Amino acid sequence: MESSSPPPPSEPRGARRRAWAAQIDSWKRTWYLLRQNILALVGIAIILGLVVMALYAATLPLPWNNLTNYCANSPLPGCVHFCTYTSGPPPGPNCYKVNSQFPAFVPPTLSLSGAGALPLGSIALLPSSQYVHNTWDGLLRGADWSLIISVSIVVAGAMIGLILGGIAGFFGGTVDEVLMRIVDIFLSIPQLLFVIVVVAVFTTFAVPGLPGIGSRVFLLIIAFIVVWWPFYTRLVRGQVLVTREQKYIEAARASGAGRGRLIFRHILPNSMYPVFIQMSLDVGTIPLLIGALSYLGFNLFGVSTGNSFPEWGSLSAFSLLQFNAVLSSCSVGTCVFPWWQIFFPGLMLFLFAISVNFFADGLRDSLDPRLRR
Amino acid sequence: MRMWIYVVRRVALIVPIIIGVMTITFVLVNALGQTAQIQAAFGNPPVHGTIHTYDPTIPCSDITPGANGTCANPLYEKYAGILGLNKPIFDRSMTFQWGDVANFSTAVKATPLGGLIKGKPVASVLSWLLPYTIELALLSLAVILAVAIPLGNLSAVYRNRPVDQASRVMSFSGYALPAFLLGSLIVLGIILALGTGHFLYTPWCSTGETGLQEITGSWPSVQQFGSCGYAGGLATNYGYPGWLTAGVISHPTGFPTIDALIHGQGWLALDTILRMLLPAMIIAFGTIAILLRFVRNSMLEVMNLDFIRTARSKGVPESTVIRRHAGRNSMNVTITVLGLLFAFFLGGFPVIEDVFSLNGVGLIITYSVQSSGGGYDFGLIFGSVLLFTFLVVAANLIVDILYAYLDPRVRLG
Repeated sequence: MESSSPPPPSEPRGARRRAWAAQIDSWKRTWYLLRQNILALVGIAIILGLVVMALYAATLPLPWNNLTNYCANSPLPGCVHFCTYTSGPPPGPNCYKVNSQFPAFVPPTLSLSGAGALPLGSIALLPSSQYVHNTWDGLLRGADWSLIISVSIVVAGAMIGLILGGIAGFFGGTVDEVLMRIVDIFLSIPQLLFVIVVVAVFTTFAVPGLPGIGSRVFLLIIAFIVVWWPFYTRLVRGQVLVTREQKYIEAARASGAGRGRLIFRHILPNSMYPVFIQMSLDVGTIPLLIGALSYLGFNLFGVSTGNSFPEWGSLSAFSLLQFNAVLSSCSVGTCVFPWWQIFFPGLMLFLFAISVNFFADGLRDSLDPRLRR
Repeated sequence: MRMWIYVVRRVALIVPIIIGVMTITFVLVNALGQTAQIQAAFGNPPVHGTIHTYDPTIPCSDITPGANGTCANPLYEKYAGILGLNKPIFDRSMTFQWGDVANFSTAVKATPLGGLIKGKPVASVLSWLLPYTIELALLSLAVILAVAIPLGNLSAVYRNRPVDQASRVMSFSGYALPAFLLGSLIVLGIILALGTGHFLYTPWCSTGETGLQEITGSWPSVQQFGSCGYAGGLATNYGYPGWLTAGVISHPTGFPTIDALIHGQGWLALDTILRMLLPAMIIAFGTIAILLRFVRNSMLEVMNLDFIRTARSKGVPESTVIRRHAGRNSMNVTITVLGLLFAFFLGGFPVIEDVFSLNGVGLIITYSVQSSGGGYDFGLIFGSVLLFTFLVVAANLIVDILYAYLDPRVRLG
């Protein structure tokens, strides 16, 4: 058995095992405290559900780049043609009553796959032939992209922050001063403006070996990392400044630990917990930001008109924008309000952001001894 | 470290930070390449004789039929001159970066605000719009404060009880709900609920206005302004009175509510506040989680301290302990977060301003980089970056000083 194999002879006997045992004990304690917090448990459950959804979606043969005109060769299964009428009995199935001014509201009849049933797996065909992507496909593939984008930004930002913040906090002096002034500069850049300008300026950016949309997403991730790392650097530095004054660091130094060992083995692991909390908070923010930018009309993923990129934030925002665009022409009374195309990606955004917030808040409560009673 | 040395040092450090931010912005914009910069700022090349390109040099036969060799492109010369592209890179960076300070670089985009800003100095454009954002930010902060401090104290006192959980669910919901979605759906809901008829009879608009007109825009809409009882709307000024140029520039202070009051238009002042109330509530709902968490946690920390136990054991009533002893001592962190939140707010609310068609700097920042409606506006980009950077740095400084002042244990340095 792997776990019962003897420790490598170079280590002092039992030292490593005891260190691990202590670590596991502290995890158990955290889990015990976390279990008291019902909201944190709800958050964990939702996060796990979303991860499972993303893994399931990754196995499906859905488009990765853009959700194109799904119903162009209609009728495909799930392509529902809406029909509208103004008075009298409904002329047929899927007909919705509209008044002279407003779009009709399709009542929620949740069905994931049933042909003819509305609305999640179905597509509204409007006079303007908009809203033609499959909402269900978008939600599933969106789980992949949203999680990939936000997790990679946050993890990369935190790594940079851990290294630079650890160096600045540990060495102090000139190194600290220079690093922190650079951090100040990057903190003061208007974040969203920076991301927009980067994505717009480097339109021809391409990573060798990646397909076009991959390069595009990569660029977006890089742009977000550039505005994100300073927060972590500042956070880690502050934490390291506190940690390095502790007695056990002094003890480690006295017993001859080198700089590398001090930083990576003693100081950084003990400065981690605010970073974990901040990471779990930020993960939920990024899809919201992407949604806001998409809503303001920035084509972050470079998709062509009429297509949508399968990411929750941009799906929700683009559907909303498309609807706003046709709302003015709805006075003829022929429009259906495609609420599910706006609502369900928005719901996923909401669930993702709120679950990581619940989790992070529970984690903070259980890890920060000052907040216990 | 002595207070004044610290302050002088921090103020001096603002300069390199601003230089750094502006340089990064310039490097980014410069990465576009010259013809792309002209294209981005002025759109597709206009038809100019036989010339349809911004390339610096073109065949001379495009200018004089039959000539040969390459000649300078007059289109390039013209637009590169406006953007300063024909100058050395250092001069150009100075033109871009400091033109805003000296108030001579002008906004070139025609689209936003009814063409009002085209050709106007960037500093003036920002100074027209900043007061709107300040008013909205203050109103939002007032809403946040009014809710967050009592609720935060309450949820610290009743920790992990239903009140605490409910306040957490409420505040996190606000944080997790995208503002564009919430705002749009509220506006849409109001349109759907109220219809398009002019039947909102308010004291200031007895002829009635539509729901959409009442909740969007910083001022009553152009059509409504004349019929809503305002005497003195000028036809030459889109129906707005003389002190409100094109419904954007208000005189003399620039703050919409104050100006309306100065001109004796009490109902109009009330109207400007009401128009900001719904956006402010959405902003507050979205950001209250940040403040609430800090209030709750700092309250929890303070409640664990010894002097609270002392106060209780002296027989001080629990409500007084919470309000006077703990509440006041937990305010330090709250004030810090509030200051930073205010600086962040002054950067504008692009989404909310877009949804509710409000005037403000957030919208102008997005206009300056939007590909629709004319492309980049370099003057506005640099101007707004400069403004935003200055606000953030200044707010950080003020908050740090205030923090040290409020809590003598904090060492500056």
